[in-house]
Amino acid sequence: MRRAATPVLFVLLLASVVGLQAARERSGELPGTYDELLYVRSPEALRRMSLSYHSLLADVYWIRAVQLYGDTKLGRRADRGYDLLYPMLDLTTSLDPYFDVAYQFGALFLAEAPPGGPGRPELAIRLLEKGLRAQPDDWQLHQAIGFVHYWSYQDYGAAAEWFRKGSRLPGAPTWMEPLAAVTLAEGGNRNASRLLWQQILRSASDDWFRNEADRRLKQLDAMDQVETLTRVVATFTARQGRPPANWDEVIRAGYIRGTVSDPTGAPYRLESGAVSLDPKSRLLPLPKTAGEPQ
Amino acid sequence: MSALRTIATVAVSVFRESVRDKVLYNLVAFAVMLMAASYLLGQLTAGQDIKIIKDLGLAAIATFGLMIAVFIGIGLVWKEVERRSIYSLLTKPLSRAEFILGKYCGLGLTLAVNLVVMVVAWYAVLAYMGASVSPEVRASWAAPATDPGMLRAVGLILVELMLVTAIALFFSTFSSPFLSAGLTLGLWVIGHFNADLKNFESVVTSPAAVWLARGLYYVLPNFSAFDIKQQVVHAQPVPAAYLATTALYGAVYIALLLVASVAVFSRRDFK
Amino acid sequence: MDAIRTEALTKHYKVGFWRPRPYLALEGLTLSVGRGEVFGFLGPNGAGKTTTLKLLMQLIYPTSGTAEILGLPVGSTAVKRRIGYLPENPCFYDHLTAEELLEYFASLFGHAGAERRRRASRLLDEVGIGAERRLQLRKFSKGMLQRVGIAQALVNDPEVVFFDEPMSGLDPLGRREIRQLILRLRERGCTVFFSSHVLADAEALCSRVAIVARGKLVASGALSEILAFKVHGWELVVSNLTPAALECARTSGRVTRAVPLGEDRYALDLPLSAAPEQLLGELTAAGAQLVSLTPLRETLEDFFVRQVAAAKNDRGLG
Repeated sequence: MRRAATPVLFVLLLASVVGLQAARERSGELPGTYDELLYVRSPEALRRMSLSYHSLLADVYWIRAVQLYGDTKLGRRADRGYDLLYPMLDLTTSLDPYFDVAYQFGALFLAEAPPGGPGRPELAIRLLEKGLRAQPDDWQLHQAIGFVHYWSYQDYGAAAEWFRKGSRLPGAPTWMEPLAAVTLAEGGNRNASRLLWQQILRSASDDWFRNEADRRLKQLDAMDQVETLTRVVATFTARQGRPPANWDEVIRAGYIRGTVSDPTGAPYRLESGAVSLDPKSRLLPLPKTAGEPQ
Repeated sequence: MSALRTIATVAVSVFRESVRDKVLYNLVAFAVMLMAASYLLGQLTAGQDIKIIKDLGLAAIATFGLMIAVFIGIGLVWKEVERRSIYSLLTKPLSRAEFILGKYCGLGLTLAVNLVVMVVAWYAVLAYMGASVSPEVRASWAAPATDPGMLRAVGLILVELMLVTAIALFFSTFSSPFLSAGLTLGLWVIGHFNADLKNFESVVTSPAAVWLARGLYYVLPNFSAFDIKQQVVHAQPVPAAYLATTALYGAVYIALLLVASVAVFSRRDFK
Repeated sequence: MDAIRTEALTKHYKVGFWRPRPYLALEGLTLSVGRGEVFGFLGPNGAGKTTTLKLLMQLIYPTSGTAEILGLPVGSTAVKRRIGYLPENPCFYDHLTAEELLEYFASLFGHAGAERRRRASRLLDEVGIGAERRLQLRKFSKGMLQRVGIAQALVNDPEVVFFDEPMSGLDPLGRREIRQLILRLRERGCTVFFSSHVLADAEALCSRVAIVARGKLVASGALSEILAFKVHGWELVVSNLTPAALECARTSGRVTRAVPLGEDRYALDLPLSAAPEQLLGELTAAGAQLVSLTPLRETLEDFFVRQVAAAKNDRGLG
């Protein structure tokens, strides 16, 4: 009896430990724990303290930054918002100045308006300029800065300039120069934007980057579709003398073949003659482009 | 028998002793497991798997190597004196200098062999990683998964570890293992803060303190110079001249420590 | 040329950290040992025997004085090629087997693989280690380690061997074996210098001895000289002794002590002055029978104790 008791007891205790840990995890951390994500705020101090392990520590902070972003986006962090995202990325890139992906992540998501990001393009620029100090000849950083100017500031002249500078650097892809030209000529135009995202989609090394590019392209498609549908509704209104009440009327009138949904599958809404995306659609909020109402 | 052959004989004996040491096996086995586990960790990093395997591999090699260098180094001489096997050994035809050098080379050999084992395991994981992703992903990497350029970092790590061994051996000639370990690891940590000593003047106003700090900067071992891990992971260029001068710095410092060790050891009475 | 020669060899230690005081381990030792001798270096515990041996091996450095072995300065590699040393309570490398240890030491003398194995095997046979030679030394008993220690001291067929307490840890059978080994060494012309506090061994083996006490040499010389003809009495063993005869012998003052050995047998101690033949005649006339008559010589132990006590008094310490 004694002999069997010890392993049984051991297994029971081990199971309890695992169970308790899972329960703790479900109940969540104590409030205020998130402040501890950044024990050290000064990148220089952290680099010193990491004693030749800075690359690895950069990886750790990178993982945390990505998880932080994901958690915030999914609403798990209550009122905290994205305020730790920039410090995290700043630490990551201070520990490893060559950590290209971190810069690109920052460029993309720091500038993104809420709820997709904190909406702080100036932080993105700051991060990228820091990266340029370490790697002045990195074409990807140039592209990223141009990107922020294009998307967040709608400053197509500056964006084109950055793309042009980047296209001259070693290793730059061949599409960068035409991209600069298109940006200068038609910046803000949906075609230019589509070109930008298509290039990113093709050259992105990471899943999250690719997914984001894909999403943006879908947004552009959705905007095209909204325009087309608005035209159809206008035609209907002109012909019938009143706006359609719902999509069925439009279908019966023969203007469209079936229910229309956006590229993510959420159906478009038709209300008092205005076409819009389903509020729950993943593609919201749609980006601003020059001369287009939101 | 020539001095070189005597040193080699003692070195092989040290190597044999460490090979039979269970602690060493556990350390190396753990390192190899860590390499394998890093593959799993790579899944966490939103697409940077290859970077983290490279980072983790280099860090593990450096860390485990450091532990081996310190924990065997501090006992190299002390253990022989403590268990009094030195009485019968030193009455054989070898000088005290040959004894010290033989011990040092033996541990160096042990370190080198252990590093090779860890590097092989690491490259195996990297090769597997490289083979299991799509060609597009592989094309986006700055350097191939099994980039031989990373061996330069391993080479400098080996020089760094040999320097740590020399420090541990030096302390082992006259102090207990506990103290030796503390002093050796302390010097290793300080050696990474070397750059701060150079910039002391921006923090402190007293010229004497600045002078002292400058002096220490030049005299204390500068371990941060041996760290090119970040550069090789990102396939940044490392000039051959840098490798040569750093390795030379290490070699000269090692020679200095060995001379000091022989001097201390030659004067000792073994009561 | 002497095998070993020391001249005013002295060793002070400094004891204490803050105010070191000198501790005299050995003072002014001057002795010489000729080739082919078996020399006993005797003394009580703490006398400085091990200190002397370590000075000769240059495991410690003298404060003053010189020492030479085979005409060469101690500690030089040339000397170490030709000598062997057995430390007190030997300890070696736990992880090696006895064979591996001897082969390692043989390799330090420059012997190649086959020769190493041969030497190791031969020496292990000579000291009586059989199949255990394949076991790691950490599994060896004290006595076996002692034998391995002796073997490693002989790995280079030395001309002079130094043994520090060679019999320590051995059972009586082992002691006899090692005694015979030392005699064999002597026959081969090897000089044997051994320290011991077991006087019986010295008596059995040595031609010359030196006695140290409290760091100083108190006596040295050939054993025969030291113990020469110092007959100080007789021991007469008789049987069938009647109590009356015994009483008579006692009262006459010719017997200092009578020890009954059981069954009418007595061992009678007679002083030097008493002529034993006369007493024997009287006792046999009374019916006793002679068993044995032995002259009582001073043993090394008596000599030793006398010298050591004198040294103690010299030092003025009780």
